[in-house]
Amino acid sequence: MISFASFPSTSEAYGRYGNTRHHPDVEDDVHMDLDEDDFEENVQRLTVPGESITSSHAFMRGHGTYVDNDEVIASVAGTVERVNKLITVRAVRSRYNPEVGDLVVGRITEVQPRRWKVDANSRQDAVLMLSSVNLPGGVQRRKLESDELQMRTFFEEGDLLVAEVQAFFSDGAMSLHTRSLRYGKLRNGQLVTVPPILIRRLKSHFVSLPCGVDLILGLNGYIWVSKHVKQSEQEGEEGFDAEAVYSNKNDDIDEATRAAISRVSNIIKILAAHFVPLTDSVLLEAYEWAVEQESSVKDLLLDDVGENLVASLGSGLRQ
Amino acid sequence: MPRPPSPSIPEKEFVYGALKQSLRLDGRAMLEMRTPTLSFGPELGWVECAMGKTRVLAQVDGKMVKPPPERPLEGIISIHSELSPMASNEYEPGRPTEEEVALTRMLDKVLRRSDAVDKESLCVLAGQRVWHIRLTIHVLSDAGNMVDCACLAGIVALKHFRRPEVEVEGDEITVHHPSERAPVPLSMHHTPFCFTFAFFPDAPPLVDPARLEETLSAGLLSVALNAQKELCVVQKAGGSPLPAEEVLAIMDIAVAKARELDRLVEARLQEDWKGRVVEVR
Amino acid sequence: MSSRIEILNDGGYRSDGRKQYELRDITIDLTQQGTADGSAQLTHGLTQVLVTVFGPREAKMRSQTLHDRAVLNVEMSVAPFSTGERRKRSRADRRILEMAAMIASTFEPVVQTNLYPRSQIDIYVHVLQQDGSLLPACINATTLALVTAGVPLLDFVCAVTGGVHSTSPLLDLTTLEENDVPHMTVAVMPRTRKVTLVTMETRLHVERFRELFELACEAGQTIHREMKYAVKDRTVALVNAMDAGSKGGAADDHDRDVVMDDRI
Repeated sequence: MISFASFPSTSEAYGRYGNTRHHPDVEDDVHMDLDEDDFEENVQRLTVPGESITSSHAFMRGHGTYVDNDEVIASVAGTVERVNKLITVRAVRSRYNPEVGDLVVGRITEVQPRRWKVDANSRQDAVLMLSSVNLPGGVQRRKLESDELQMRTFFEEGDLLVAEVQAFFSDGAMSLHTRSLRYGKLRNGQLVTVPPILIRRLKSHFVSLPCGVDLILGLNGYIWVSKHVKQSEQEGEEGFDAEAVYSNKNDDIDEATRAAISRVSNIIKILAAHFVPLTDSVLLEAYEWAVEQESSVKDLLLDDVGENLVASLGSGLRQ
Repeated sequence: MPRPPSPSIPEKEFVYGALKQSLRLDGRAMLEMRTPTLSFGPELGWVECAMGKTRVLAQVDGKMVKPPPERPLEGIISIHSELSPMASNEYEPGRPTEEEVALTRMLDKVLRRSDAVDKESLCVLAGQRVWHIRLTIHVLSDAGNMVDCACLAGIVALKHFRRPEVEVEGDEITVHHPSERAPVPLSMHHTPFCFTFAFFPDAPPLVDPARLEETLSAGLLSVALNAQKELCVVQKAGGSPLPAEEVLAIMDIAVAKARELDRLVEARLQEDWKGRVVEVR
Repeated sequence: MSSRIEILNDGGYRSDGRKQYELRDITIDLTQQGTADGSAQLTHGLTQVLVTVFGPREAKMRSQTLHDRAVLNVEMSVAPFSTGERRKRSRADRRILEMAAMIASTFEPVVQTNLYPRSQIDIYVHVLQQDGSLLPACINATTLALVTAGVPLLDFVCAVTGGVHSTSPLLDLTTLEENDVPHMTVAVMPRTRKVTLVTMETRLHVERFRELFELACEAGQTIHREMKYAVKDRTVALVNAMDAGSKGGAADDHDRDVVMDDRI
């Protein structure tokens, strides 16, 4: 009885996911019927909020679902995942949902008594306690009152840092720590932001590309692209400068490295725009392709170059 | 915006617990209103309406103005409402709060946009002179359900008001002093009344919520209608979702309530009119 | 006062050629807008709104946070060129404030705010064009924007306007019709068929109200289907893009299908 008027819309706002109404006759064909083999292998089930997934007697509800009337119902749009009896729905795009042990890149937003507030693309700012950072002059040094007074010399508002999720507070805010020599303040590079779902859990989130660029893939979707640091200068080897940990000065970066950093950043932006998950191998391949094309760094941001890049990725991997 | 202090947890629990058994703190039945008390001031169009401890003062006056060029044949009705800290310590002077916006909009919809007053009858001389009726609403104290009380005070004030008789001869307008000729009442199309229902999880809906019930409710629904079963305003802006049948059931309750209230208002107006000495020489 | 245009002619057609129960075309664009977490642009006939959602994120004003749930903050702006008559409305316009408050209180019980204590979800509604059914367009677009932001919702909220011309009910009114006939806005949650919002500002008999109300609830289901398809199309597109990128290396896993579950 209720239908849509049949003349086309005057709007030209057809986006990538632009969608108009379907003619009633076509409707059923577009979305094919399928047998209710709900959790078959190799078939990803997608759902939308308010859609019933299964009975709550046989299964348990996880994130992204709720129970009403003995049914497990999705509350976000995304893919249904099942681990034994636990049903979760993973939103296809959302803010970062932290887990203990995750590596994140964040930005200091506020200095408070004995703690910093860190923006980490999550539902609340994360907390970095003064007691969870390494201070210059010895890893095991005790925190003094003077340290409290000069917190801004370690991190001040606007500083970027890499840290690990240590624990959660009762209201869900996360607590970070930088008690490793690999963690701490960031410099010599550029920040790129992508949707957090595109960062997969990898063996190591510190990636060194052969082009002299280091990457830190924060699981919160913040990626730090920076100049390569020689192995010898890392982690307390000879030449390791403890004072430099909290330094605010960039090293000298030559032009080639700068170009490489920009190129990598642009590649990441393109991949994110095409919603391609980022791994070290994908990035490496994309970088090689970009160098092969001999195009300038900024050309990468053109739409067709970006499309070619993503297309080449698929074919390259398939071979 | 400072938040009103929320009721304490034990208070909340107690109210919810009682409502689940269909008991209200002030001993009313779920669908029982506080009987409104209408008292009329010395002037015509001065009404104080009290529902329990909620008190609203409404006052109407009229003056003659030149109509705006786009509507030369219609009188003007304007409504001023004010929510000062006098009503309750939760309101502050200055920026309009959410409650104030809601109150103004509701009064506007119930009293003005519903065409309660025949605006064309307020025209004295087309394009030249029309009546401008001003209704001022003062909330004296808010003990819950201020909106219903304000709407009731407003509509009764409009019904109570009499404007001076005027005579038009050619382009000449004579306004007769009330002592010369009896003033005439405004011509009204209908009399809308507003009823607010409050909803709670696992409890039946209740009408005319008191302050505490209003704050704790999961959703409010306001209905304005007249005794002729015509709905003028239905307003359920969010709050807990309701099944469609329940909404319709509430309409039926409101219909009965409107009839009751209409009778009460008419009786009170008659009573007051009898007590008034109108001198016509 | 009332226009000379026939609202419903003898042939059963309305002024824009629609029949009584025909809804105007809906176009939904869920493309990412800038740095917003979620966004949706919805065109409903000639009414067009853009909604962007930020959050849940750290609340800007700490005094406004709630310890047990997130705060929804709705801000609405109406473009001065959105109506026929160019007019700048101030942000403090009562009508706009009221509408923003209505949107906020509509979504408060629908968004699972209890999952995000002390956070804030900002919803910015921009009205680009208006030709009737403004509030429903805003509500529908807000639902879609919240879905794209990955904010957990109990269900969609689907809104529609309805009106009555003498005794015949009409759906999805244009400005012209809104000025002339009594009309109401109804928002429903399709799964439970519960009603979250009803507003009506014009005189209507109770019996007519009942009829129109039930019809509007039904129309909400039709709109829900469109919204659901739009969301699913987007989800499929994104999931396929992710699979193409990541699973490519692992043998011929490529042929695996992404299948949608389609039970209406």
